[in-house]
Amino acid sequence: MSVKSMICIVCPVGCHVSIDDNHTVTGNRCKRGETYAIKEVTNPTRMITSTVKIKSNLTTRLSVKTSEPIAKTLIFEVMDALNSVEMQAPVSTDDVVIKNVLDTGIDILATRTILE
Amino acid sequence: MERNEGETMNVDIVVIGGGASGLAAALSAKDETNSVIVLEREHVLGGILNQCIHNGFGLHVFREELTGPEYASRFIEKFHAENIDYKLDTTVLSINKPDDCFIVEAYNNEDGALTIHAKAVILSSGCYERTRGQIKLPGARVAGIMPAGSAQRYLNIDGYLAGKDVFILGSGDIGLIMARRMTLEGAKVHGVAELMPYSNGLTRNIVQCLHDFDIPLYLSHTVTDIKGTKRLEEITIQEVDENYQPIAGTEKKFSVDTLLLSVGLVPDTMVFESMDLTLSPITKGAIVDHTYQSNIPGIFACGNALHVHDLVDWVTIESEKAGASAKRYVAGEIKEERNNLTIEPREGIRYTVPQSIDMNNFKEPVTVMFRVTNKYDVGTFTVKQGDTIIQQKKARFIAPAEMESLMIKPEQLIDQTTPITIELEVK
Amino acid sequence: MLDYVIIGGGVVGTLIARELSKYEVSILLLEKENDIGNHATLANSAIIHSGHDPKPGSLKAQLCVRGNTMYETLAKELKIPLIFSGAFVVARDQEEVDTLDLLYQRALHNGVKEVALLDADEAQNREGNLADGVLKVLDLPTTKVTYPWEVAIAALENALLNGAQFKTNAKVTKISPVNDHFIVEINQQEEIEARYVINAAGVYADELASFVEDDLPYRITPRRGEYFVLDKKVKGFVERVLYPVPSDKGKGVLVVPQVHGNILLGPTSEFQDAKENRDNHSDHLNWIRRDSEKLAKNIPFDQIIRTFSGLRATSTYHDFYIQPAKKHPQFIHVAGIDSPGLTAAPAIAEYVVKTLLNRDQRLPKKTDFNPNRVKKKPFYESHFEEKLQLFKEDHRHGHIVCKCERVTEAEVVAAIHSPVASPTIKGIKKRVRAGSGLCQGGYCENTIVKIIARELNIPISEVDYYEKETPILWKETKVKR
Repeated sequence: MSVKSMICIVCPVGCHVSIDDNHTVTGNRCKRGETYAIKEVTNPTRMITSTVKIKSNLTTRLSVKTSEPIAKTLIFEVMDALNSVEMQAPVSTDDVVIKNVLDTGIDILATRTILE
Repeated sequence: MERNEGETMNVDIVVIGGGASGLAAALSAKDETNSVIVLEREHVLGGILNQCIHNGFGLHVFREELTGPEYASRFIEKFHAENIDYKLDTTVLSINKPDDCFIVEAYNNEDGALTIHAKAVILSSGCYERTRGQIKLPGARVAGIMPAGSAQRYLNIDGYLAGKDVFILGSGDIGLIMARRMTLEGAKVHGVAELMPYSNGLTRNIVQCLHDFDIPLYLSHTVTDIKGTKRLEEITIQEVDENYQPIAGTEKKFSVDTLLLSVGLVPDTMVFESMDLTLSPITKGAIVDHTYQSNIPGIFACGNALHVHDLVDWVTIESEKAGASAKRYVAGEIKEERNNLTIEPREGIRYTVPQSIDMNNFKEPVTVMFRVTNKYDVGTFTVKQGDTIIQQKKARFIAPAEMESLMIKPEQLIDQTTPITIELEVK
Repeated sequence: MLDYVIIGGGVVGTLIARELSKYEVSILLLEKENDIGNHATLANSAIIHSGHDPKPGSLKAQLCVRGNTMYETLAKELKIPLIFSGAFVVARDQEEVDTLDLLYQRALHNGVKEVALLDADEAQNREGNLADGVLKVLDLPTTKVTYPWEVAIAALENALLNGAQFKTNAKVTKISPVNDHFIVEINQQEEIEARYVINAAGVYADELASFVEDDLPYRITPRRGEYFVLDKKVKGFVERVLYPVPSDKGKGVLVVPQVHGNILLGPTSEFQDAKENRDNHSDHLNWIRRDSEKLAKNIPFDQIIRTFSGLRATSTYHDFYIQPAKKHPQFIHVAGIDSPGLTAAPAIAEYVVKTLLNRDQRLPKKTDFNPNRVKKKPFYESHFEEKLQLFKEDHRHGHIVCKCERVTEAEVVAAIHSPVASPTIKGIKKRVRAGSGLCQGGYCENTIVKIIARELNIPISEVDYYEKETPILWKETKVKR
């Protein structure tokens, strides 16, 4: 049986929790810690924020994010996908930069408005 | 000789800096009766938020999680909707008050010299990063040592990575965020060293920026040597004792080409060099009363130019108050004569902002922000006048990196003259 | 065939080039770095000493006192900053008071004009932050402070105006004496023939000398000095240079007001073998703190913005070694130029040219020698009306690149394309002060990198920090390779 330990980040308490193969969680001081730990071992997800190239008079990079948290295992694949995109100003916040990235159903969105 | 007089303008309120702080201040300072202008040295509004592309902003102000540029966009849109005047690419060099109004001297490459006569000035020019020289980092002077914020700008705005093999000194949020950002873009981050026995960053950033990428965090460690001929080649870190002195025999060496410094931020008050602005030796920003007015009547300060904040939300809230005060000041609603009752940090408290309450203008409750000197799980903040306790507040997970606040109401005060003190009691 | 090759572009080499450019001769100055004034000239105390310290009868004493008197004219001709600060040598106990009396005699003997002994009260009156417990002070009103690397840049610019040539990135790898001249090999590639070679190579002078001398008359034993720089906000903290009473280890840690308002604390003094090591050490910096407090009180240590260190080219000869080589007298050693080298530099140039090279006065004088350097008044020194005029001439004067030091884009561009240019972050900093202030380039470096890249038409990842191959960035992201 393997046990994984982690710090719960749901609230500022930061409990050091452990979870085993049967998804038994220890060290948590509340229910949310259990949910967090189970999610971290079954389907951990992360928001990715990064940049893509943009043709603009103001800057050479446009900041972007995933429309929602994406599987942690896909982080570097998403980064690769971002490397192949080049946008052209004008771009507005929330414009779709990549639709349905890596077939996840999640989009890459612009987080900045660059008009010229 | 034909003389170019430069442009001269008259406005009620000049706001120096168009980042989070300046935008919020301008928005609350402007009404139908007054004129406000924002001077921004960059080519775009939004300030440092434009390069803070990570998320986590806005939880208090908008009740949602935004990235830095998104947070800035919301204010930039409002700002444009209100049609407030502004000048981009414009650097303020000096402020003087020869007689009854301020003269702000600014430059840009369209107007040349811009002379602005103003009744009030809001200093919202943000902060700058502490440098290698200020922390007296020993070792060789080679290329590859850079403040973390500079590296962030090169990466997120310009699209260039500062280095391939990276070490980071300082575990504040900028350092942690940059550890992840550089890793995502293809650099190898070998570790983060923190002088203190605890990190100054959010736990979430420790987990998602370091643990996710197996980047080690060395607490109670600092960089004690730097080697290299042209570019950085090797750094040495050492564990420190309780007086922050390196312990012999604990040396660890890392072959890296880049050292990012995330060792603190300092309010930028440089434009007031020629005026007698009183600065706090602790915050390095202006000393203000509860209206955010400095010792010089008509000069207000807010945001990171006043004291360094950990959350932009607090910058916004504070700057809105400073802007509102400036508006009242030019409308003649703040009594010129001041009667300051000081707020003094005592046991366990590093500083407070504001540092005083102007009793002549004290009608509404005042929020006092403060930082503690050490990390504790639980404690009680006690506000006193002399020996009389006027307020107590329990708090959990107290840390120097996290700003605390409490509210003081006019009716709580026992008199108009006994200084207010704030102290922290821990079990 | 060239008449003169000067090796080394520090204050000494560049001032010799300027002195020689007064004559109808061909001159080439070689500098191994990508910029001149990068070593001892870059990292020293910036003081133009009066001459109270060198041993009477030494070349140091003679050339220091002479050099001091030359700086006022030099500053006017070359438009270099110079402040007439004066100096106090501070005695704190009876032994030091006794030494001070000897120094007073020595100063008179060396020919220092205007020297006086002051009691503690008088000294305290004149210098408010003088440390408590001072017993007696040697007053040296002729001490001045300059901006050392601008001296070198200005001297070379003026030499070029008068026909001299220079080459950077030109390391002398061999010198072969042949008959009446020398073959000088550069970077193991190029060969240059010259009738005379002047060795002003600083810490490397002995290595070059070994090409022409069988028995080296001196060895260079580099002595490292570390310093603190205080922000210019402290301007006026002290008016004068404050010296301790010198010991056998040298002049000791000083407090030095700088031309732009900063205060320098230092240097330490430590012999080392390496000729390039310019590290700082924490314990040495603590030593500066401790020693400087013996000179001044209330030192605002919280205003430290920078630390640096430099190497003095101290030699085993214990005086300046300025002589023709024994076997090859057309090779001139100008070696062991440590303190007071900056002060003596114009006098060294004069001595080398007038006493050694043109003793017989056979060199033809140039009739059209122009001693004046053209220099635009910097934006930060300009009055409002002058700033408007600058803006009319070039609208890029409206773009303040460095707000700590008030430097405009037009000034940065001019520096990039100046006759003695070095378009690196540090090269620009040396010329226009961008990045010398409180934020140490935190704000302006990004803009300057982009201006350099634009002007040279290179990517920003190829802009160097200081030397060749010291880019501050690694690579562009999001680029398919």
